[in-house]
Order: sequence, then C-alpha cells, then structure tokens
Amino acid sequence: MKTRKDQVGRLLLNAFIIALGLGMLYPILWLIGASFKPSNMIFTDPGIWPKVFTNQNYVNGWKGIGIVGFDTFFKNSFVICLLSAFANAIFCSITAYAFARLNFIGKKFWFAVMMITLMLPSHVTTIPRYIMFRNFGWINTFLPIIVPKFFATDAFFIFLLVQFIRGLPRDIDESAVIDGCSKFGIYTRIIMPLTVPALITTLLFSFLWTWDDFFNQLLYLTSPNRYTVPMGLRLFLDSSGMSSWGPMFAMSVLSLIPAFILFFSLQKYFVRGIATTGIKG
Amino acid sequence: MKKAVVFLLFIAMSVSLVFGAGTKEQATSAGDGTTTIRWAYWGSGERVTISQQAIELYQSRHPNVKINPEVSGGAGDHFVKVDTQLAGGDGPDIIQMGGNIYDYASVLLPLDKYAGNLLDTAVIDPSAVASGTIGGKLLGVSTGVTMPALVYNKSLIERVGAPLPKPSMTYAEFRDYLMLLKSKLPSGVYPMQDIGVMSTNSTPFGYWTRYNGTPLYTAANASTSVTAKDAQKYLELFADYRKNGLIPPPDVAAGFAENNADSSALIAGKAAIGYLYTNQLSGYQAATTDELALMEFPGAAATKALWQAPSQFYTVNKDSKNADETVKFINFLVNDPEAARILGSNRGTSASASARASGASSPVDQKILDYMQVAGPHSSLETDHVPNDTEFNSTLFLIYQRVAFGQITPAAGGQQIYELLLRLIAK
Amino acid sequence: MTDLHRRKVWRDNLGSYAFLTPWLLGFLVLTLYPMFYSLYLSFTKFNIRTPPEWIGLRNYLVMFVGTDRLPKDERFLNSMVVTFKFVFISVPLKLVFALAVAMLMNKKLKLIPLYRTLYYIPTLLGGSVAIAVLWRRLFAGDGLINMILSNVFGAQNLPAWISNPKYALYTLILLAVWQFGSPMIIFLAGLQQIPREYYEASSVDGAGKIRQFFAITLPSLSPIIFFNFVMQMISAFQSFTQAFIVSGGSGGPLDSTMFYSLYLYIKGFGFSEMGYAAAMAWVLLVIIAGLTAISFRASGSLVSYGSGE
Repeated sequence: MKTRKDQVGRLLLNAFIIALGLGMLYPILWLIGASFKPSNMIFTDPGIWPKVFTNQNYVNGWKGIGIVGFDTFFKNSFVICLLSAFANAIFCSITAYAFARLNFIGKKFWFAVMMITLMLPSHVTTIPRYIMFRNFGWINTFLPIIVPKFFATDAFFIFLLVQFIRGLPRDIDESAVIDGCSKFGIYTRIIMPLTVPALITTLLFSFLWTWDDFFNQLLYLTSPNRYTVPMGLRLFLDSSGMSSWGPMFAMSVLSLIPAFILFFSLQKYFVRGIATTGIKG
Repeated sequence: MKKAVVFLLFIAMSVSLVFGAGTKEQATSAGDGTTTIRWAYWGSGERVTISQQAIELYQSRHPNVKINPEVSGGAGDHFVKVDTQLAGGDGPDIIQMGGNIYDYASVLLPLDKYAGNLLDTAVIDPSAVASGTIGGKLLGVSTGVTMPALVYNKSLIERVGAPLPKPSMTYAEFRDYLMLLKSKLPSGVYPMQDIGVMSTNSTPFGYWTRYNGTPLYTAANASTSVTAKDAQKYLELFADYRKNGLIPPPDVAAGFAENNADSSALIAGKAAIGYLYTNQLSGYQAATTDELALMEFPGAAATKALWQAPSQFYTVNKDSKNADETVKFINFLVNDPEAARILGSNRGTSASASARASGASSPVDQKILDYMQVAGPHSSLETDHVPNDTEFNSTLFLIYQRVAFGQITPAAGGQQIYELLLRLIAK
Repeated sequence: MTDLHRRKVWRDNLGSYAFLTPWLLGFLVLTLYPMFYSLYLSFTKFNIRTPPEWIGLRNYLVMFVGTDRLPKDERFLNSMVVTFKFVFISVPLKLVFALAVAMLMNKKLKLIPLYRTLYYIPTLLGGSVAIAVLWRRLFAGDGLINMILSNVFGAQNLPAWISNPKYALYTLILLAVWQFGSPMIIFLAGLQQIPREYYEASSVDGAGKIRQFFAITLPSLSPIIFFNFVMQMISAFQSFTQAFIVSGGSGGPLDSTMFYSLYLYIKGFGFSEMGYAAAMAWVLLVIIAGLTAISFRASGSLVSYGSGE
C-alpha cells in the first residue's frame, strides 16, 4: 500500500537524481551541439545550440582521411575491443579464481608480483615492449594489443575478480567438493555464475578502455587501413596545418554510440546475484 | 576433465585465429621484386589526400615501387611513434622533420652523394638547401618555407573603429598602436596576446634577441651572445605591456596555450593580435568567421631580424634498406612540376621563387605571399637552433610565467634564462 | 608427511598452477623483460637515438639532491607535491560520490538504466579533446562557472580558475571526481551481490536504513571498497591524460598541473631523456608499492570477506 509519504519521497528522489544527472549531461550536449556547427564557428559561438546548423561535419567526417574512412576505423576498433574484452573476462577470472580460492606454494609472492605490474607507469615500458613485439614480427597487426589480454596482463581485472570471489562464502565450494566437483567444475558451475556482475563489469571496462587505448594503437598500427577510431579522431587535428574541428567532434559523437549501446544492453545483467542459500547440489 | 579439454581447445582455436588474422597481411612484404618505401609524416584531412594523390602518381610511373604512408595526426604523435620505432631499429624510410632536425642528425642519411644525380638540388633555393645542411652534410630536403609573423583580427579591429596596423612598424610605433587599440577595445579584450606565455615562446624570444643584435646561439663556437641583462630587457618589455593593460594579466593569458585554434586567445576573441608561423594561417582562419591578416614583428625593417624557416624536411633514415628508391621519390615530391601542383603550399610556401611568382591558390595563400614580399627583404639567415630545443621552450615558458605572475623579478628571470642557455648548450 | 599425502599436495599445487599458467606465462614473457629493461634504463642516459650510456645513480641523485654538474630537479619535486595533493584529495571524494550514487542507482526505479548511463557519461568522454575544450570553457575567467557564480550568487572578483596557479589543480581534481563512473559501476556490482535476505531479515528485526547501512552494506561491501580505494589510488598516482590535454601538454600554469606522469612523459619523449624517465617510473613504483602494502596491512582489521576467510 503506497502511502502519500512514499509517493512524495519517490518523486523527490527521481527529481534529485535527474537534476544531478543533468549536470553530467552538459558536456555531451555541448559536444553534440558543436558537431552540428560549422568548423569556423565552434570556438566563437560558445552556446550549446548552434546558431548555424549543418550536417556537413558528419558527411565529411565519415570519409575519414580520404584514403580510409570511419567504416574501417570502426571495424578495426570493434575487432580489437571485442576480442580483448572476452579474452580478459575469461583469463582474468581463471587467474582470479586461482588467487582467491586455490592454495599453492608462492601464492602470496605471485599476488604481490601481480599487484606490482599495475604500478609501473606504462610510458617507460614502451620501448622494450616495442622491441619485443618487433622481434615477434607483430608490428602493424592487432596482436600486440590483443594477445596480452589472453595472458591476463590486465591485473586490474584480476584484482577486481579476486575481491568479488573472496566475498563469496566458502561453504558453497566445500559442499561442491563433497559432491565430487573438480576445481575446474567449481570454477565453471559455481564461481563464474555468482560473479556475473563482476564479469560483466570486466567485459564493459575492457571494451571501453581498449577502445580508448590510443597510445598502443598509435605505436603498433602503422598502415592507415588498420587505424582505429581514436587514431582517426586524432588525424583531424594538426596544429601546423588545418584542423577539421567540426568533423572531429561529429565523429567523436559517433564514437560514443557503441559505448552507450554496450552500456545499456549490459544493464540487465546487473541483477542481484542468485541468493547463495539457493545453491545446493 | 573433459570440459577442461574442450575449454582449452576453444582457447587454442581463438588464439590461432587471432594470430592468423594478424599475420596474413605480413605476407605483402617484398619477395616479388617490389620495393616498399615507408613514408612517415604528420597531417590531417587535406594533406593526407594530396599526399596520397602524389603517391599514386609516382606509383603509376614506377609500378615496381610501393609507398606506404604512415600518417599521424599531429607532430607530437608522429615523433613519439618515430622515436619508438627508431629505438626498436624499425624506423620508416622517409621521416618528415620539422625544426627539430638537428636533434636527429645522428640517425639520418647524408644526401650529399645524391645531390646532382638522383636529387636535383640545383633548382631549389640555395637558402633552402643550406637550411637542411647540418654539420656540413645535407640531411634534409626542405618542403617549403614559413616565417614567423604577427597575426591580427582584421574584422575585430574594424568593428571597434580602430585603424588597421601597418605591416612594418618600429617598436615605438607598435607600442603607440597598442595603446590606441586599447582605448577602442571593450574590456576583457586585449590588444595583444601575451606571446611570451605560450608553449612555442622561444620564437618571439629568438626574434627579439636577433633584433637586439645578440643571437641566441652560434653553432660555430657553441655559445650564446645573450647575457642576463639582455634577457632581462626582454622580460621588462612585456612587463611594461602587462602593466599598461596591453596584454592580458598572467592568469588570463595562461588559459590560452596557443597550441592550436582551440586554445587560442585570438580565435576566442580575447585578443586582437597574436603570433604564429605563416603556415598556420590557413588553420587559424578556418576556425573563425572573422578575417585574419598578417603583419611583421616590430623593428624587422631596420634590423632584418626576421627569417625564413624551413617548414618541414624530407629526411631519409640512415638504416633505410631502399635508400636510392627513397631519394628518387623525395626528388619527385620536391622537384616534379606535377607533384608540386598537387602538393601546393600545404607543407610550407614553396622555396622556389618562380613557383611563388605564379600566384596563390587561395586568399589565405595570397596573404602569406604578400606578407613574404614585405618581410622577405627584412630577413636574414636563420639563427642556429639552441640544442635541446624542446627543453628550452618548456623551461623558458616556466621562467617567463614566474616573472609574469610576479614570483620573481625580471632581473632574476633574466639570470635564470641565461643560466638555462648555458646549461642546455653544455648538455 | 606420508608419501600419499605428499603426492596429493604436489598434485594439488600442480592443479592450482594450471589455472595460473596463462597469467604466469604472460608475466614472464610480456611484462618481466620490459620491466627489467626499464630498470636498466634508469641507470643510463638514453636519448632514444643513440644507445643507452651507463651513468649509474646519477638520474636518481639529480632528482633528489643534485650533482655537481646539475642542480636538484625542482620540477621533479614539484610534480611529486602536485601528484600527492591530487591523489589524497580526489580519491576519497571520488569514492564517496561513487558509493553514494551507486546506492541511489541500486533502487528499482523505472528509468534506472537511463540514470546509470547519465552518471557514467562523464567517464565515457574520458580523455577526449572535447573534455579539455569544455573544461577550459567552464573554468575560464569569463567561463560558465563564473557567470553562474556572479549572476546567481552575486560573487565578486572571481579568479580565472583554470589558468590561475593557485586553483588550476583543483579544476583537475574536480574533473577526476566528476568522472566517478567506473568505481560507481563497481560498487553497483558489489551491491548487487549482497543477498537480499540479509536486509529482509534485519528489517524483520526492526533495523532502520542507517543501521542496515552500517551493519550490512558496509561490511559486505568492504572488499569492494578496499578494491576501489587501492585501484583509484594507484591510477591517480599515474594520472596523465586529463592533465595533458587540459594544460595543453605544459603542466601549467607555473607547473601547477604538472602531474608526475606528465613530467615523466615530457622528460622521456619531449626532452629525450628516457633514462631519467625510467628512473622516475621506478621511484613512483616504489612509492605506490609502499602505500599499497600499508593499505593491505591496514585492511586486515577493516575488510571482511565471506565466511571462512
């Protein structure tokens, strides 16, 4: 039975959330507005709503740099990000399971080592990694970006999943062992389903962060037909020549769409984990 | 156990898929008599299109040569990538260079042996050839020239009813003009941007030291003629402007890094006069509906303190495996009349007087040519670059800001600049 | 230990290591070599174009005390101060907002997916040029924020936040806190995992919302709070992109936004002093490792994992 107080409370809550949320929206509204302004008015006309409306930025922007268009850039970005996201989800969770649930000699040591891999600023490992990948012959392929994910080098997600798994009560594991389940069985049947929100988070963030990882893309993708969306965006800006601001903002808006779609569609997995008391046998 | 095997198989399959997809493209490297040349340059939009046209023209004439462009958006990205590639022993064949060619001298191929045969240097302006000659060796072929200039917002000045500036002025006339502008401009808009507080501020300082008769650096005896007192005079010049409201106060000025049109006070309508290199004019003009025009730095006519800088260079990687073919292509880019028509003045105004005489292809280009007509005779040979250019820019910027914000006096600032020069030369 | 037992322990360990193999391989091949190479570089002078030249501890000495050839690197020490300020102000704020909004988003309101997306938008825009342009526009002397402050609140003599050395860092702190989407999502995932029965049971016992928060939510969420804290701290220390694009790569005004990673990048790729940059990287690693170890120690009493840990 909904009381008056409930209804008012609910209304206020909604209103508050919306108001705060609108504050978050301003930049994206500005960005969308800028994408419809002619290039020579973007910086002189500061408001959100364009004084002069044009869709040329989208038309021209899509062509990319003439020899390669954004259809290729988007395709490349998608391939890299989807593969990376799935590889991360699988391999980081296997590793996390080992750290969180299994016992083995040297566990504390390797865990500390894993944490340390997070702490070295990446700019200084650029050159040795480049030399290494060059020796493998992987320059100008997607391999230097994707393959590390198959080896769980993104320790962020390992640590994330470790914390989630450690939050699950151990007795479910134990009852499964009693039922004759192998380590791998526990992993696939019990741990993975219960850490779905964390796995979804891993997928989402892996995708988004790989998408934005401009630096590695710049270094390893040398032919324009392998370029990704962020590289394409940077190609619009050149301080010594002409910068195409309008098309750049237009393509930036488009670049956000996959992220939005992904975010929206993964929402339904953010449901409450299955009640742990329900898992028996 | 069975599930584990299936799982691992799946992993193995996807890994091999990824590997397969990656290595397929590798097979196009030479094995069938085709020479592949890698050309790394920076640029966007138009430059990429015209460069591609030039590439296709060359490839149609030389079917056994394939040119792979490796484009980066800005010079910053370009050099980070090239540096890493060079460190990995994997540098491209043609490397586009800017004024920092001096720093790369040790990794570039001297082109002297090609001069006169594969590379026709006779038709290029001698000053352009000289600018690419470092330590006695020809290391780079100039793509064109650019000059420093003051740029003013013609539309804004006309709107407030002030007279337009003369292209050439003395410092005294210039100061009077700024005062005149100040009286007409609304509050919040300044006659000139604080051009010392910018990321490429070593150029205005370089200009001023030439005007002052004390060039920044002489390579021949690895020394500077600038003293702490000279540097102090420079800082005091701008302190005077700042005190009189001719340039914005430091916290306003610091909001405009002037890296590009998006961080420019001129484009934002906050200043009537700014500074740039002539090859940036088209980019700036494209970012505003107001009309921009060029004028000289003050005092250039009397002292010939301006200079023509090579806009960019084509250079060859010392470790290039196809040096001859690469040089042939560079010769094409620079000397072939059809290529010249395609490439236009995108990488700088042509270093050839005859090309310039044939006129400009756009109003912006025409303005640049007109400016060069006036400023050309007021120029002399470019000063040698201070070693460790980037660090010089960055630290000079910091010292200048400290003076601007009142943290240190111009005298102390002058001293610090002097010590900075000595340190960088000795490095 | 009996033979049988020993063999079981051996098989157990082997089985466990099987799970660890991908990561271990990746670490040994892809990470260990670059890490040690960068450690080697830190003892050299390396301008990228010529081979590295061994100079021993000189880089480290210049950073902290100066040598007879070079004075102490003031810009380095300044970048440490700037970064420490940034970390210790932005991280707690960010976490508080992330948790608060995550709890708001945990309700069953109708448009929840939309709301969640709204709050994630700032993070989506990440390190794009658009954000830099916008932030400068907002916090300039005559920017939107000042316009609101003076017109709506009648404030006078407002500084130009983003270009004033005293305040510029705070605009970046604000930018970091505003992009709280990632820890928020992680908190949300964590909240989802708390069994509903806990709350239902405690309601039956008469516990109010506040009691529930402290008795159920916080303890159940503590592993995640710890995770977010450690990760945000680690990444805040390495923060680079926002400072780079907002300051135009200069760390200005007056080096007030010269983050440690930014200075490292400038030294390495800008001034071509890769050896020095490598030394800076390792100093940072030691600092972060130390603080993380302390955090882990301290967490022993604060963080509660599921039963049986």
